[in-house]
Amino acid sequence: MAGPNASGKVFLKACECLTPFGQSADTLAALLRGERAMQLRPVLGREGGDAVPIALLPGRVLDETAPPSWLEPVRNLLTPVNDTGWGTARRPVFVTSSNFGAGNLYAHRRSGDEAHMKYGALVNCVDWLRQQLGWQENVAIFSHACVSAHLGLLQASRMVESGLADEALVFSFDFLSPFVSGGFYALKILNAEFPAPYMNRATGSIGLGDGAGYAVLSRARGDFSISAQSMYNEMHHFTANQPDGTGFEACLAPIAAQMAGRRVWLKGHGTGTLDAGRMESGAFAKMFPGAPLVGWKGSLGHTLGSCGLVELVIACAALRNGRTPGTIGSGAPAFTAEVALEPFANDKFDGVICASNAFGGAHAALLLSHA
Amino acid sequence: MLERFIQNISTDDAGTEALAETRERLKGFFALGATRRMTQLGMVVGAALNKIVPAGEDTLVYASTYAESRSLESYLDSFPTASPTLFQTSIHPSGAQQALIGKQRSLGEVFSHSGVDQLPSQALLTALLAPAPRVILCGGEERGGWLVNYYSAQDRTFGYALALTREPGPAPLGRLALVPSEETGQMTQSAWFDLLHQRRALDGMIALGWRLQLSWS
Repeated sequence: MAGPNASGKVFLKACECLTPFGQSADTLAALLRGERAMQLRPVLGREGGDAVPIALLPGRVLDETAPPSWLEPVRNLLTPVNDTGWGTARRPVFVTSSNFGAGNLYAHRRSGDEAHMKYGALVNCVDWLRQQLGWQENVAIFSHACVSAHLGLLQASRMVESGLADEALVFSFDFLSPFVSGGFYALKILNAEFPAPYMNRATGSIGLGDGAGYAVLSRARGDFSISAQSMYNEMHHFTANQPDGTGFEACLAPIAAQMAGRRVWLKGHGTGTLDAGRMESGAFAKMFPGAPLVGWKGSLGHTLGSCGLVELVIACAALRNGRTPGTIGSGAPAFTAEVALEPFANDKFDGVICASNAFGGAHAALLLSHA
Repeated sequence: MLERFIQNISTDDAGTEALAETRERLKGFFALGATRRMTQLGMVVGAALNKIVPAGEDTLVYASTYAESRSLESYLDSFPTASPTLFQTSIHPSGAQQALIGKQRSLGEVFSHSGVDQLPSQALLTALLAPAPRVILCGGEERGGWLVNYYSAQDRTFGYALALTREPGPAPLGRLALVPSEETGQMTQSAWFDLLHQRRALDGMIALGWRLQLSWS
């Protein structure tokens, strides 16, 4: 069996996220109220198609504009930390996403409008964004589908822990377009049903959502720490996991080994697909028996490459608030007794394990705690 | 010292080779019929990886500026009836996953990089900071179609894989190190590949703050 590696400890000096509900405080409040951000919208935007569950930032539409409609929300999100000096040798930036400017590529191909190509390809999109935000050249790019944010967090942690960086900015984003929704619809996991993560029902389905988030990692300052990070890659099938669920367990094992009796709650990936939901919740129940498991994609939708960071920031907000949102959109019967459908108090817990999964059987997880 | 020793290397400069030619040339590296479903990038990277033979405890660092350009072009052209297969293969890091899934080869850490002028330095930093005793650094590009005209795809096809260890062992093929510096520099994936393919040495700036020392035994 492959051997995942867990990292040491870094601090979250600052973090924030953006969802269709707003930033982390507003998002947490909406999740605690059990609200769902997704609405049924045509899968191909202005070109129509079946209605599928999609959550967009207020004012955004699925069809991308040139320049991209997400620039100003991203600029506003980053304003509190976007001082001069990011992207230097000692203050690297790690940009992570699954789709980058794919919405502009799609818009160009459908409309012929050349203006979109400035933002379309992955590297062009990031270079344009770098210039817009005033970052220097030291910008690393990670893209590994829905574990993308975890890759950025782990490498940024290593740069900070090793002393090669004074602090690091990890920025993750994914904004929806027909490119993405059309792809998941073609895979037949995005359909007219709203997702019900970890619910044992006849048909599985996911929803999609806009999302962005950032974290500033530091060696010494912050209210929260990330004290373990783990990865495991099954390489079993592009869109399916090993049927015995061992891939989920292999990723969680190094974190469980570092727990030392601490009580945790669990923020799972929980997209709403049946097989992965069953295996993920089963692995959590086996590795952390009795620990409550929640997933928030039944409200926010799957924010794809940004989900690891967006949901980490919401978990920080929940730790500050003392209450954890339940698994919105789900219901009984759940796959395991540990699935928490309703909000609960988290002040008796020592931390939260945040996990994400991706195409190719990629798994990533980390332990988030009060510093 | 950020340093690793090169224990094995495989490079493939396919240049402007057509997809069908690559498929015919490299079909022996993969299971019977597998190349029909593989991208050109997946084949050149996969063949290089198969010569290195990744093991479960290795960390894999994959680097590609443009990834599966032709799948991306074909996927875009498949609308309004989007192709699920092309959607999958257009997603990073499909180029590395195609061969590894074909071999059912599970791994712990897999880092999938993109970038332009800083890509080799960023991928090397990831490789050199990984705690695993052996790191496989691989990558490549495939020649695109219309995306090339928008600086959104590579105009040549190539793939590479390196096995890097912390200890030199009895017969290392080479050594590479990253040294912090006040200076700046750039290196593209294409230039990095040419260094490896031609086994050329370098002691020079390749990114903001980083000097690469590459030597061959």
